[in-house]
Amino acid sequence: MANKDILLVDDDPDIRDSLRIVLEKEGYQVRTASNGTQALKELEKQRPALMILDIMMATDTEGFDLAFDLRERPEFEGMPIVLLTSFLDKVREEGPDQFQHILGEEWPAKWLFEKPVDTKRLLEKIDAILAGE
Amino acid sequence: MEKEHRKRIVFNELRKRTVWFIRLRWWVPPAVGAGVFAAQALGFEFNLLPLLLIAVFILLYNAVFYLVRSRIGESREGREEAVRRFTYYQVVFDYVAMFLLVHFTGGAASPFIFFFIFHVVFTSILLRPVWAYVFAGFASAGMALIATAEYYGWLAHHPVVYEATAIDLAGHPSHMFVELLFFTASVFIAAFITTAIMRQLRIRILALDRSAAAVVELNEKLGALYRMIQAIGSKLRLTEVLEPVCDNLTRVMDVKALSVKLLNGSGKLLKYAAACGLPESLALNNSIILEKSPLNRRIIEGESFVTGNISQQEMFQFGEDLAAEGLKSVLFVPLKVEGKVIGILGGYCIEVDRFKQEDVDFFQQAADLLAIAIENARAYESIEKLEEERTRFMMRVAHNLRAPLNAALSILNVVREGYMGDLEAEQEEYLRRVDRRARTMRSMINELITLASSRSGSREIEKKPVDLGELAGRLQRSFQDAAARKDLEYHVSIPGEFPKVMGDREMLEQMLENLVSNAIKYTPEGSIRVDFAREAQEQVCIRVSDTGIGIPQKDLSGLFSYFFRAENARAIEAIGNGLGLAIVKEIVNKHGGTIRVESAEGEGTSFIVILPIGGVETSDGSGD
Repeated sequence: MANKDILLVDDDPDIRDSLRIVLEKEGYQVRTASNGTQALKELEKQRPALMILDIMMATDTEGFDLAFDLRERPEFEGMPIVLLTSFLDKVREEGPDQFQHILGEEWPAKWLFEKPVDTKRLLEKIDAILAGE
Repeated sequence: MEKEHRKRIVFNELRKRTVWFIRLRWWVPPAVGAGVFAAQALGFEFNLLPLLLIAVFILLYNAVFYLVRSRIGESREGREEAVRRFTYYQVVFDYVAMFLLVHFTGGAASPFIFFFIFHVVFTSILLRPVWAYVFAGFASAGMALIATAEYYGWLAHHPVVYEATAIDLAGHPSHMFVELLFFTASVFIAAFITTAIMRQLRIRILALDRSAAAVVELNEKLGALYRMIQAIGSKLRLTEVLEPVCDNLTRVMDVKALSVKLLNGSGKLLKYAAACGLPESLALNNSIILEKSPLNRRIIEGESFVTGNISQQEMFQFGEDLAAEGLKSVLFVPLKVEGKVIGILGGYCIEVDRFKQEDVDFFQQAADLLAIAIENARAYESIEKLEEERTRFMMRVAHNLRAPLNAALSILNVVREGYMGDLEAEQEEYLRRVDRRARTMRSMINELITLASSRSGSREIEKKPVDLGELAGRLQRSFQDAAARKDLEYHVSIPGEFPKVMGDREMLEQMLENLVSNAIKYTPEGSIRVDFAREAQEQVCIRVSDTGIGIPQKDLSGLFSYFFRAENARAIEAIGNGLGLAIVKEIVNKHGGTIRVESAEGEGTSFIVILPIGGVETSDGSGD
């Protein structure tokens, strides 16, 4: 619980801001990135306690690409990730299952939220993940 | 080729007749035997034994012929000659038998001599005309020899005796001479007449065969045209039209190669759309600049071009590849539709002077049909492309609309949750309204995306057995709260053993969700029921009924069209997009089902969906 560092990756500045405000109010340190490259830079600076990742950014697949890259990097193994999407007709349900295709079964924390995110549920989930659920 | 064919016919005829000749000969020994005994019974006196031996001899050599007949003409080369030779042997043996018969029945006076006429007739049927005369000559020469030899006593004379008198010409040389003279005349006349008739017959047979072949060819051509008409009628892509048509035409026209060149949009370039049997380099690399090719230009102007011996200069215009292929005859006709030339149909042959006027005519007919098929396919493709573009456009618009809306909702959430400071009650209320409208807009956009993707090919129906029981359970759970909030009774009922239905689970679920959420939306009080029932004839019925506002009679007809909303629906619920039922209808159609609505204003509405079970076992062995 000591590390409350969260990396928030989304290409929409308004989404970034609104989530950042909520998370900071709840006592998290929030770093933000607007694309995969920036995100990787921030990740390399310091491994965050959790990453919130929009799976479809400007190039449509950038979030997926980043997630795939992370699978190959042992230093980030097991880092909890919460995914955001605005396409629930493609990845149909909110919940944990969706990670399986993206990060593989062995990735520990996995959750998907549809935008606009229900912040109450998001905070609950983050709490639960960081508490080591 | 034609000659080859004719030879084959003649050969088959010959072979058949040879066998027939053998069959006929089986009757000779019994006939000789019977004749001999009958003659004896009647009181004729002659040497019985030699005649019977001759009959046996005939029987034996015919048996040999019978046994070897199937092996004659097995090898391809010279098989006609082999069959002919077989026939010579038969005739020669017959002659030997005949001369023996004649010799033992009175020589020149023998009643058997006229049987030679039969042999001459057979020979003229079986062999070349000249052989009929040769064998006629043998017969008369042989007879003259026997008569002379017997007359001078070089050969024993065996007269037939009746009532003690020999039936004989031995004592009358002049008689014998006249007799032999007329015999000679008879055999030669027989040879002449039968060969003449046979010549006529052969010509007839070949003519008949030619017309039979022509009928077959015509039939094939008609078949090819018919298949092209079929291609016109079916909505096919261009390549799907061209390939079968070209293969077909190549076969029917019996050409080496076939090409379809089409004008591009500007009308300045000709591009190969299909090239069947041509070198690939030609078809792949090439577009022909019309200005540089006077020959192609002439065809585009509507003339057809045919040559039976392509010149160097012409070859140059078609490309060196053609020269390498050794093509000699080419035929080009314009592909014309509604008076406009859209391309060129070409046929290529190695033979010189291959294309006759009737080929040109047929080719033009085929080209006319092909042109229509091509135009159809193009029209179909462009409609399809347009539809695709429209769908893509809709998807992009919807996605682009959703991103800022999500951002706005996200920010709104921050404010409403009090992260920007506490809100007064009134502020909160108005922000709630903003939120509500924005969310409605979002669901509209989502439905638009669903609609666009369900109309596009990307969301083709994927049929699998769908467990409706499970679906009913989900339906009950997902709308329970919404119904409870409005104090509505809500109940989904399904019989315990319910058949699975072939269909797309997601689509079926969406369809039912749309119907139930509509029912909840337009039912101020009372109840909503969803009843699954088994229908006759492998169908299931799903009835979604409510006690809501109902649908006015006049609005029933437009109910399932896009963006339609009934008047009273607008009054009760300002927000709504009129897409829900259109989607429902589309999904039902995709499953081969039907939907109808029963409604009374102020009393309620029932939507009745009938779906075919579609090849799924009705009860999957629930017994075991």
